Amino acid sequence: MAFSKEAYRELEDIVGERHISNDPAFLDSYAFQWLAELVRPNFSHYMPRPVAVIMPACTEEVQRIIKLCNKYRVKAKPISTGWYHWAAPLKEDEETLQIDLRRMNRILEIDERNRYAVVEPYVICAQLQAEVMKLGLNINIIGAGASTSIVASACAYAGMGPSSFWMGNNSDNLLGMEWVTPEGEIIRTGSLGSGNGWFCGEGPGPSVRGICRGWVGSRGGLGVYTKCAIKLAHWPGPTEYQVKGTLPGYRLPIQENFRVYTLAAPTWDAWADIYYKIYDNEIGYIFHRQYALAGADLGPALWLTYIDPEKTLNDVEEAVKRKDIQDLTEELRISFQFIMAGRSIREIELQDKILDQILKETGGWKVQRYCEKDMAEFTNTYMQRLGHKHMNFVWVGGYLGSWMQTGTPDWVKGYVPVAIKGLYRDAAGGNLVQCGGDALMGNGSSIAGGGNMGLEQFVSYDPADNASVAAGTQHMRDAIVDAVANGFPPGKEAMYLQVGESDEQIWNALRRTPQPLAFHFQRKIKEAFDPNNVGDRMYATLPSEGKP
Amino acid sequence: MALEDYRADALRCTRCAYCKWIPFDLIKSWRFSKGCPSVEYNHFHSYSAGGRLVTALSLMDGRSTVTEAVKESVFKCQMCGNCDVTCKMCRYDMWPIEALHELRFRLVDQGHGLAQHQPVMKGFRSLSNMLNKPKSKRGDWAEGLDLKRLSKHKSKLLFHAGCQYSHDPDLREAVRNAAELLKKAGVDFAILGADESCCGGRAYHMGYKADYQAAAERNLKIWADAGVETVVTPCADCYHTFKRLYPESGSSVAVIHMVELIDRLLKQGKISFTKALPMRVTYHDPCYLGRQGEPYVAWKGKEKKIFGQAVVYDPPRPRYNGAKGVYQPPRDVLMAIPGLELVEMERNREAAWCCGAGGGVREAYPEYSMWTASERLEEAKSVGADALASACPWCEKNFADAATRNGTKIKIVDIIELVYQAL
Repeated sequence: MAFSKEAYRELEDIVGERHISNDPAFLDSYAFQWLAELVRPNFSHYMPRPVAVIMPACTEEVQRIIKLCNKYRVKAKPISTGWYHWAAPLKEDEETLQIDLRRMNRILEIDERNRYAVVEPYVICAQLQAEVMKLGLNINIIGAGASTSIVASACAYAGMGPSSFWMGNNSDNLLGMEWVTPEGEIIRTGSLGSGNGWFCGEGPGPSVRGICRGWVGSRGGLGVYTKCAIKLAHWPGPTEYQVKGTLPGYRLPIQENFRVYTLAAPTWDAWADIYYKIYDNEIGYIFHRQYALAGADLGPALWLTYIDPEKTLNDVEEAVKRKDIQDLTEELRISFQFIMAGRSIREIELQDKILDQILKETGGWKVQRYCEKDMAEFTNTYMQRLGHKHMNFVWVGGYLGSWMQTGTPDWVKGYVPVAIKGLYRDAAGGNLVQCGGDALMGNGSSIAGGGNMGLEQFVSYDPADNASVAAGTQHMRDAIVDAVANGFPPGKEAMYLQVGESDEQIWNALRRTPQPLAFHFQRKIKEAFDPNNVGDRMYATLPSEGKP
Repeated sequence: MALEDYRADALRCTRCAYCKWIPFDLIKSWRFSKGCPSVEYNHFHSYSAGGRLVTALSLMDGRSTVTEAVKESVFKCQMCGNCDVTCKMCRYDMWPIEALHELRFRLVDQGHGLAQHQPVMKGFRSLSNMLNKPKSKRGDWAEGLDLKRLSKHKSKLLFHAGCQYSHDPDLREAVRNAAELLKKAGVDFAILGADESCCGGRAYHMGYKADYQAAAERNLKIWADAGVETVVTPCADCYHTFKRLYPESGSSVAVIHMVELIDRLLKQGKISFTKALPMRVTYHDPCYLGRQGEPYVAWKGKEKKIFGQAVVYDPPRPRYNGAKGVYQPPRDVLMAIPGLELVEMERNREAAWCCGAGGGVREAYPEYSMWTASERLEEAKSVGADALASACPWCEKNFADAATRNGTKIKIVDIIELVYQAL
């Protein structure tokens, strides 16, 4: 049954005329998505247009919308804050209704005593953090930054961030969620499912783990998450995010019980040792290799330009020629950002002593220039809220992530030289930004307490230049070849490329993963919850082929 | 520049949504975290700067046509410039507010201007003001003040009252006080009186560039003939037009806002306060004095690439990211008034929420305009202010109308009035 005027009218009855549109230009604003040009024919920046975009105000409206999608056999694709090409419809021949959740934007509850908050899908990290900081609490802000939806990161992704080291992933911190299944049933998970409130994600009631998230998250492919409870962490900092200075380089003063450092190591082996020792000694609050995103060859020139409001990117060209910047560039080759928070002055002093000892044992050091007041306060601003994450795109507006393999630091350091060599090679022709082979950014940990982490190669290309876009796509293909040739599985780039591939190509890739059975299991889940195939293929499955 | 010149901006937009919020570092609460009135009220992505860039691209590519929905999404925006500030937090190669202007120019050129704007534009063309008031009444505000007229006296300093102050009896006292204050301080200035014309800025923001251009040329000729070297205006809209737009039309006249001049006169000791005003006041940064009030920097150049693909400009392009707006002078003035307590709203300076009056919205979408103003009044109330002060008659008018409509008790005052009362 095709999407008809009658279907549109029925949807309109649910949300009102003002909250649904099928105007072609409006639909294009949803079809237009970051990364599309890398995988779409003729470098098109548009994913397929949805048949309409609709904006429900509550769970009941979402449920009614989903039931109509089942009735008319139209795919349902939710979007909240919306990033990535897979947030849009995926196939031209699949009629898809885009469900924009931005009207569901309330913080429903902050339970200070039990340390959780209940939010709707369009509550962003910066909003919730501002509110809970007033209570001496904090949230893990995912690597994609302050502008992202908490519900999306907790329910539909893994939700890793620089503070995951201390606070855990958002998928770990998920204490219960309200899920409108692809069939239109409302399921409340964890203790919420048994009427006992939001305090526990594991029950009594259906567990949140595994069912929806599966491999890496359902990413809009398995119904709509309409509320969730997220665990709150201790925040020993100020109750208001009181930044100083002039944009864009705002500065958050560093409290007496905080330390903000950029640490460097002489070798990648020493770097891994520092990581392990930090884990082992349980120090630190935020742990991230942030500034590397600008590329090891250009990073210091860029960041010291950025924090000066009088300067522009033109100044980077001159800055890289300066001897002091060149020396700093060498000093920062193998470095990362590290913020420690003490619950008392004595505790932060102890952490400081431990860190000094770690650096002594490993040959690491604090990078003096980045620990000076201006840069340290900027680092504090940047890392605590991640309000500058769009710096990912600073060079020219296009960035793609390759590698992003997670494992132990020793495992990660294994792919570092391969990734560095690959980017130097692929950027040599001038169609990618030549910022150095090492633009490897990543979280200090992808699980609470540390031990597991990953680095993502930041590859910048010009979305307005087809030759540059083609170079970006080629880099992703090269990265897969490099990975396989060196004994690593394909990384983030494979996820990007799959958006433009056929079902058969994707299945072939899934069959080669270490645990293809997982995708057969996910098929079972999809069959159970989505008999009419209303969700799209972002919830990855493998066809049965006689497998369980 | 033409709309096509911003094609690359559209292609390089990453849909990051920064344009919908205030700078994230400045967020202090859920309630006052939003930055774009248009997308907040209308919800669809098309009502954000990022969405409008896609609309521009889609129209240029022939993927869509100008429908009523498209027109509304393009024009239901105050052009407040919050998106321009937040986009440039992390980008040096995006110029959202300029692109949105070009989109409006394109629609108007193609005959897709809003019907609601036509009476205003008709008045602009025939009566030289944006309020459809008789031209002959423009100088009435100065009656009895014995001010020099530029038609009779040469003067290096022109006081330009602006349409709203000239024609709105509710705002007249402020502009009369401004003139009296200048006289008291011994400032030698003249006015144009009934010969004063609209600056053209609001026509520009509505998309009528040719009409704006004609107004600019007319005003610049009058100024040149009279030997005007500096223009002072109490209107933020006029200030922006003279300061940022006129130089592109060849102006080299210095421009200063009345509040900047008051600040200077206070600091030079030419005026001083003698009376206390015991009240708690919050200051609303007008968009065209604050984040869009940065001085014009001449630039003609082109994009070039460094490090393979990184985009820069040859020569370096002025940034206009809101960092150099007029923020401190009004605050210094208010803080100098004895007994007055200045309290800041959460969204201030470059992150200020718009009053709702700009971009032709007050004229075309009054409900939305009032909603936008009401949001700001709620913010002012949340900091316990007795009064909301501003330095723009359009802001004040919109706030006053919203306060009347909502029964909000907070006083809406012009900073000039406060200064005058405290002298």
